[in-house]
Amino acid sequence: MGTSNLQIIQSVGIDIGTSTTQFVVSRLTVKNVAPGSLVPRFAITDKEVTYKSDIHFTPIDSNNRVDADKIFALIRSEFNRAGVSPETIDTGAVIITGETAKKENARSISAKVAGFAGDFVVATAGGKLESIIAGKGSGASDLSRRDYTTVANIDIGGGTANVGIFKNGKALDSCCINVGGRLLQVDQATGRVIAVSEPMKSILDDCDLGLAVGDLVTLEILGRICRRMSMVILECLGTGQLSPLAEQLLMTAPLRLDYDIDTVMVSGGVADHVYAPCPSMTLAHATQYGDIGPLFGMELANLFQARTVPMARPTETIRATVIGAGAQTVDVSGSTILADDEVLPFKNVPVAIPFSDTIPRDETTIAKGVTRSIENFYEKDSLDKIAIGLTGTQYLSFKEIQVLARGLLKGLAPIIQAGFPVIIVLEADIGKVLGQSMKAINSRMNIVCVDQLLVTEGDYVDIGKSIAGGTVVPVVIKSLVFETKQI
Amino acid sequence: MNLRSKINNQIFTFKSVTDVLAKANNEKSGDALVGLAAETATERVAAKLCLSKLQLKDIYENPVIPYEEDEVTRIIYDDVNTAIYKKICNWSVSELREYILSSKSGQNELLNISRGLTSEMIAAVAKLMSSMDLVYASKKIKVAGHCNTTIGLPGTLSFRNQPNHPTDDVEGVLASLKEGLSFGCGDAVLGLNPVEDNVENFERVMMAIVGVKEKYEIPTQCCILAHITTQMQAAKNGIPVDLMFQSIAGTESANTAFGISASMLQEAREIALKLGTSTGPNVMYFETGQGSEISLDCHHGVDEMTLEARTYGVGRRYSPFMVNNVSGFIGPETIYTGKEVLRADLEDLFMGKLHGLPMGIAPCYTNHMKADQDDQEMGTMLCAMAGANFFMGVSGGDDCMLNYQDTSFHDDASIREILNLRPAPEFEKWLEKMGIMENGRLTDRAGDPSIFDK
Amino acid sequence: MDNQIEKDIVESVLAKLLEQGILNPSAKPTQEAANQNTMDTDCEPVTLEPMDFIGVENPHNPEALKMMRKSTPARILMGRAGARQRTASLLNFQADHAAAVDAVFKDVSDAFLAEHNLFKVKTIVKDKDEYLMKPELGKKLSEETKREILDKGEKGKQVQIIVVDGLSSTSIEANIADVMPALIQGLETQGITVAKPFFIQYGRVGVMDDVAPLVACDVIVEFIGERPGLITADSMSAYMAYRPDHNTVEAERTVISNIHRGGTPPAEAGAHLATVVKKMIDNKVSGVKLAELMR
Repeated sequence: MGTSNLQIIQSVGIDIGTSTTQFVVSRLTVKNVAPGSLVPRFAITDKEVTYKSDIHFTPIDSNNRVDADKIFALIRSEFNRAGVSPETIDTGAVIITGETAKKENARSISAKVAGFAGDFVVATAGGKLESIIAGKGSGASDLSRRDYTTVANIDIGGGTANVGIFKNGKALDSCCINVGGRLLQVDQATGRVIAVSEPMKSILDDCDLGLAVGDLVTLEILGRICRRMSMVILECLGTGQLSPLAEQLLMTAPLRLDYDIDTVMVSGGVADHVYAPCPSMTLAHATQYGDIGPLFGMELANLFQARTVPMARPTETIRATVIGAGAQTVDVSGSTILADDEVLPFKNVPVAIPFSDTIPRDETTIAKGVTRSIENFYEKDSLDKIAIGLTGTQYLSFKEIQVLARGLLKGLAPIIQAGFPVIIVLEADIGKVLGQSMKAINSRMNIVCVDQLLVTEGDYVDIGKSIAGGTVVPVVIKSLVFETKQI
Repeated sequence: MNLRSKINNQIFTFKSVTDVLAKANNEKSGDALVGLAAETATERVAAKLCLSKLQLKDIYENPVIPYEEDEVTRIIYDDVNTAIYKKICNWSVSELREYILSSKSGQNELLNISRGLTSEMIAAVAKLMSSMDLVYASKKIKVAGHCNTTIGLPGTLSFRNQPNHPTDDVEGVLASLKEGLSFGCGDAVLGLNPVEDNVENFERVMMAIVGVKEKYEIPTQCCILAHITTQMQAAKNGIPVDLMFQSIAGTESANTAFGISASMLQEAREIALKLGTSTGPNVMYFETGQGSEISLDCHHGVDEMTLEARTYGVGRRYSPFMVNNVSGFIGPETIYTGKEVLRADLEDLFMGKLHGLPMGIAPCYTNHMKADQDDQEMGTMLCAMAGANFFMGVSGGDDCMLNYQDTSFHDDASIREILNLRPAPEFEKWLEKMGIMENGRLTDRAGDPSIFDK
Repeated sequence: MDNQIEKDIVESVLAKLLEQGILNPSAKPTQEAANQNTMDTDCEPVTLEPMDFIGVENPHNPEALKMMRKSTPARILMGRAGARQRTASLLNFQADHAAAVDAVFKDVSDAFLAEHNLFKVKTIVKDKDEYLMKPELGKKLSEETKREILDKGEKGKQVQIIVVDGLSSTSIEANIADVMPALIQGLETQGITVAKPFFIQYGRVGVMDDVAPLVACDVIVEFIGERPGLITADSMSAYMAYRPDHNTVEAERTVISNIHRGGTPPAEAGAHLATVVKKMIDNKVSGVKLAELMR
């Protein structure tokens, strides 16, 4: 009680991939889900995509690089079409994926795009992050949770296939394979090869095909290529041995496969051709986008059907990644916290975990641990913001919380003296009492003490201004585990 | 009308029919709380004696709450069949008791005179019956109801699957729901008590439960036990509603405190028939319990058992699919001990049946009563013997949201085995299809909620 | 061999085994226990199965059961013996019911009250049975009790905290040590004055209506034991009202329930309550009206 019960967060997702660039706007409903007489508990209860852009081809300049200026212009026009101004966006993610992420100027795209709204998460996604975001956007994660199963989501774009494994709603494993629908470009009108990507050369070698730019292709030849790529995917999902080609095309470690996959789901641009196969495909149909995506989808569907792989339909196909990026990255903190709004929002604050096990019970040990963990990040004369992450849900009495408050403040003294706020991220639901206890000791400093969040060493956090009458803060936890690169 | 009786040379004088009814009631803490109960054991029996000699017309002519003052009284009196009443109005309560118990009286005879009885007469005769009398008489009447499926057929015993959760968390709700189904529980209704009573939450949990029902093609009905106004709004919004649930009571003022009236119940029934998703014709689900009027301070000087009978008088107007009695839930100020609960359960089952209602019972208790699991299980076995249509089904017997104890999935399955009772026929076929039941017995797969996934 | 020699040999062998770590010191040989026919006090006492124990035999999807177990506090997944409960879950149920009954029928101990510096008064209820069967009496204080409160307590502070047994003495003993200092800290750092807290035996929520006018406080915070369920007997509520008296209706009270280790942890609840009380003082209302103001 004592708080506004509903809040809308507007979130943007931008996916800049090998072949396509997409843009979505989502409305996330943050609501108090606790029954009336309980302490409030805010959660994201609804995610509604309010605007989906057309699927744009990713602009490539004459040097075969992603054209950052054109992307910038494209995004600006999409903001206009969506009828939202960047200032009204609370959060969002720009994900640079697939082959594009390899391109040298991925970083400059990020820098350009970030200028739109300072609070975005901008990530050059490696295969792992992309796999997980795509599996969340496709509905694979939800399906695995609802049916208590293990679901493999294969997001197949132009350049890569990202496999995310979800078990009971949690990302379990992932890999990235260098196969995709646009690795070979074919002119629909002439039936001649326009471009052969590097990975496609390996695939062609494996198939004993010597295709080069300008060569005429047949449906049969393209079918062989697509069947081989489909087989590589199946090999990576654990059907038989990994062939040398599959080993070569894997861009990450292979799946661990210490689990059984119950269901397979395909998302990404190729997916539409997996779930709506065309029985009598012509060469013109197969190359309608100037590549081999439609045929790849059909061949994959045929192979999975022949091998009786259990399939489930995604809720999103080509937009899985962008929707995952726009709606699945932000979370909210616990609802009894202490956050001084004047120091919010902040972004990309590194998280230090001073205690890997349980929190020590005496002030001096706590202080020493905190000091040591700060020293690991910063030199004494170049201090910056740091978040202290305290994990574990052990029960702490009021007295123990007092000890913790004193220990933290002692350990954080250099940070406080340097004028930075005290930032604590807790797993246990004690954010408010710990915050108040620190305030009781020193009422002049700024404190952001948030709880019910699980962070790990090496994470970075973004924390937004409080919403719902100061009850919760939006949080984005960016884990290096997912190879997110910070700007 | 004689309001005096004599036992062992002691003469007892009662103030009114209402007073006789109250003092003839077996011991209940609620009657003592409001100063209506007999003060001694002998006075109690003297009241029973006095009551046994009253004629049914004495009761008819002296309503416990005046017709003009109380909607419940009006419902009861307006619904009495006067032709049948005239035939029996000169019977004494004692004669009524013996007619009910007579070997010549079966369901047809009893449901016929039922039409000529006011609720107070039914309460009166129950006050003259011992526990085994109540079981013996209850066993004669079994009224079935049809919503999507039929429950209450001879030889069957059905259950409400009650998958309550302290925060209405859908995943948690479905875990309990599936466990209940895996024990063969859910043929009466899949029915959740929501924590939050609003249309939005109603839709969220209803769609989750309906989702399971549709996915596994379960022949049953779904209900979210929100306030009836919430359910009416939900039906108007196009959310599936099979059954309209409401708690009802035996006085107009108590019903007002529940936020309902006769016209509202009528409207709800019409909405269920017009906008609801079930086959019908029985689309109402009522819950009742001795003492709710006392808890609300709306008892008008009438004992809690008589008021409970009047509640059934309200219920029968709306042809319900199920009426569930939760006397053990109200609290120690109305029913304090295990013995009081057992007695109330048997009285309520009998009184409901004699009203012609499709009765079920929740033989339950709270932790601040002097009752325990043994009382609860005895109540369940007795009510099953007496031919209850249904019981509740709660995982492990403990409702983790409402914080009381009721029949468990285990108890439900056990009582079917003990008394050779079967689920509702359509539901039994479904249980067989799912491999949960064979020849009326649970299979090895039963009791495992994970059989529904993967 | 006579008994003594046999015993010596057995003991020396056992000692050797223990020394080499082959034998677990807590696992005593049953032979010896049987021979001696005495109670072995060195053994660890037997315990109940943990509540997250999954008793379903040969489950179809064990992983699904683990997820279900985390999704609800309901007593699911206990397995069965025929159609009946298995022994472990039967005993767990009985133990939890016993804890609930004890929470209702036991009193808050004098030692606990002394430790937390709470003086004790009583409503006009004479014993537990009367308390349970006549709820109205638990809302009233005798004139003598009122004098005692004025004598030992403090008048005219902004906030009066009272601790009331309600339906769970256990919950009071489990939570007060953490919730009360957290609340007082939160209030005092906001500059709010707090009267000396005290304890009321056999009290109901409405007893605050007798207390508040007596001590002339703005806000009363009443910690009271909730009716215990089998999930926990430790759950406590905090009822609050702005200047309650005999005209106060239930809608004018604000309640925060489910305060216990497994719900809202008591220290965190105390910190939260301090914020709620501040809003009551600032807006001079409580209950539904306060909730509407905050919406």
